[in-house]
Amino acid sequence: MEILLNLLKEMAVFLVIAYIFSKTPVFKLLLTKDFLFTDYLMLYVFFASMAIIGTYFGIPVHDAIANNRVIGAAIAGLIGGPVLGFSVGLTAGIHRYFLGGFTALACGLSTTLEGLLAGAVHAYFVKKGKYERVFDPDIAFFTTFVAEVMQMVIILIIAKPNRDAVELVRVIALPMIASNSLGTALIMSLFRDQRYHYDRIGSSYSQQALRVARRIIGELNKGLNSESAKKIAKIILEETNVSAVGITDRENVLAFEGVGNDHHKAGVEIASYTTRKAIENNEIVFIDGITKRYHCPISPECKLQSVLIAPIRIKDEVIGTIKLYEQKNKFFFKINEALGEGIADLVANQLLAVRYEYQKNLLTKAELNLIQAQINPHFLFNAINTIIAVSRKNADKARDLLMHLSNYFRKNLKRNEDLSTLKEELEHVNSYLEIEKVRFQDHLSIISEIDESLLNIKIPTFTLQPLVENAIKHGISKLIDEGKIEIRIFRNNGHIQIDIEDNGGAFTEESTKSGLGIQIVDKRIKNLVGNEYGVKIKSLPESKTVASVILPSGGIN
Amino acid sequence: MKIRTIIIEDEFNAREEMEFLLNETNEVEVLQKCANALEGIKAINALHPDVIFLDIQLPVINGFEMLSMVEKSVMPRVVFVTAYDEYAIKAFEADAIDYLLKPVEKDRLQKTILKIKNEIDNNKTQNLEIPLLRRIPSVGNHKIKLIDVDMIDFVHSNETGIFFLCGDKKCFTDLTLKALEERTTLFRCHKQYLINLDKIDEIIFEDNSVGKIKTKSNHIIPVSRHYLKELKEKLGF
Repeated sequence: MEILLNLLKEMAVFLVIAYIFSKTPVFKLLLTKDFLFTDYLMLYVFFASMAIIGTYFGIPVHDAIANNRVIGAAIAGLIGGPVLGFSVGLTAGIHRYFLGGFTALACGLSTTLEGLLAGAVHAYFVKKGKYERVFDPDIAFFTTFVAEVMQMVIILIIAKPNRDAVELVRVIALPMIASNSLGTALIMSLFRDQRYHYDRIGSSYSQQALRVARRIIGELNKGLNSESAKKIAKIILEETNVSAVGITDRENVLAFEGVGNDHHKAGVEIASYTTRKAIENNEIVFIDGITKRYHCPISPECKLQSVLIAPIRIKDEVIGTIKLYEQKNKFFFKINEALGEGIADLVANQLLAVRYEYQKNLLTKAELNLIQAQINPHFLFNAINTIIAVSRKNADKARDLLMHLSNYFRKNLKRNEDLSTLKEELEHVNSYLEIEKVRFQDHLSIISEIDESLLNIKIPTFTLQPLVENAIKHGISKLIDEGKIEIRIFRNNGHIQIDIEDNGGAFTEESTKSGLGIQIVDKRIKNLVGNEYGVKIKSLPESKTVASVILPSGGIN
Repeated sequence: MKIRTIIIEDEFNAREEMEFLLNETNEVEVLQKCANALEGIKAINALHPDVIFLDIQLPVINGFEMLSMVEKSVMPRVVFVTAYDEYAIKAFEADAIDYLLKPVEKDRLQKTILKIKNEIDNNKTQNLEIPLLRRIPSVGNHKIKLIDVDMIDFVHSNETGIFFLCGDKKCFTDLTLKALEERTTLFRCHKQYLINLDKIDEIIFEDNSVGKIKTKSNHIIPVSRHYLKELKEKLGF
């Protein structure tokens, strides 16, 4: 009975050691199950030390030692598998062997086998895909129980003289089996709880980050300004439960929400030296309130005591910061650092996406202006010249042409909408063609075949014009004979297809200028509805060129 | 005496308008209106006008290219007419008598007419700097092909017309032998022949100081006495 009490006392010491261990960074190794070699090495050193200390803490009984050595080996085996269990067991076993006594060999051997046995239990659960079970205190208890029984049997078999061995086992079997099984189970239970605790913190933080991410999407469409910053600060405050949130650009505080908003005001210059430093050095600053205290630069009454300043970086350039604050008496987890950084990255990514979208739009607009600008001068002066000529002989015809010209330019100038109906596009093109027909007379013929049911579908504004213009240039400039243009609009294979065909063929190299217009039309359609749509050009040398616009069956919405 | 002129312009109405304006001045006689460069060359060769009103943007062969197909002796004075100011015109500005923007103003045209009359009275001839012709137009059933000068073996003129041999194809052209001699790197070796020096395989000398050229494509072309010496110099022996 005395032995049992003593062993339980020693075991309590182990529990304390294990508890302290569970608070060290090394414990975080146990959060995963994929150990690196160095992880194994650290765990080995820790558990082997624990097992050897178990031997020293032991109580001498009949020239042998009643001890807690098995706890280190069993836990090593359960957590780390056969190799770790065996190594720890062997190390502690060899150590025990050299301490001598008539059970030296039996004890050394059995510790090694006990480590191995626990490792086998580990291997069994891993194989069944239930690694978590090795942290189950019941499993730990049962494993150690079996291991200790095995040790007693080994002592009975190996230790000589046998009479002494029987006497020894009679005294130590019960206390050792009981205290060590209980000890292993308790330590395992402690580990399991600690793991669970970490898990919960981790998952609640990632959930917070996800919720923040979900809610800030779309808030930054107009960039980071005081309005969007205020919204985002509110979201972060609600989702993370920190005491206060501040957002700055490089110069000014854009928003501040939470505790201290009586003196931390948005719209003023950044007062905090630390923030300026974080921006300048492009680094995260964490003032945890314990080793270092945050001193509010504005008010000595400020309740905020710790702060995390995470720079918002776009391509290595700091465009502002996100600051999370905690007040006195509120523990600021180190893990907040990752959260703060994550949120700052999130905001940066959103801004980057918005910026990219904006630039892409800007580019298409600029390109659009380019095609519009391209057509004007030549066409305009030639058209006017033609109308002057016509007016000498046929005033009505000249009047019609002026109407078409005016209609064409009005549509050209008004076109800032992105989409037009096919009907509008055709009207635009028609005005253009009416003038071209008069310019080139019998040199140009135009045939249209249009599925009337498609007139109301929408297509990108200015899709047809560059194609028709290109076809005319082609047909007219490459031919001495009559140029023929055919416009066909029809359904084909679940798509809408617009063919613009000319009989220019390809006598000479394509002009790159007209090619650009078509490229832009193609790019815009692909941007809007995907790469399977767009413009395809087929050219049969010396006979014809067809530009086909392929659109989704419902047009573009 | 009125100024004899040709209008070369692909747009029907623009041609009519130009003719109207020119007739209005009472100083000009419009000999012919042409819708493309080939018609233009033919008309120039046939009518030897004092001046042409030439649109730059013509189909297939533009105005500049057309000028490089006209032989020097019949090269008329040139007034460029275009719808839109382009840098290309600037290059010719110094050499051309004038250039006009469409639509053409009466008063502006009057100035041009004065310039032309002045040049004719002073017997000044046009001296445009015209680049070498790189491609030769060949007319065949409703099509114009532009053949690279380097591809041509030789050019021959006979009673059927002027044609050149390009590989095994025989292509007719409206350009004169003289124009081709002046404007391309082809070499005159006979009254009726131009040869592409790069296509010569061998030269056979005969007794009476005439010779024959065998081309790489195995055609035999005569070399007359008059040109043999120059040919030798050209080839460096």
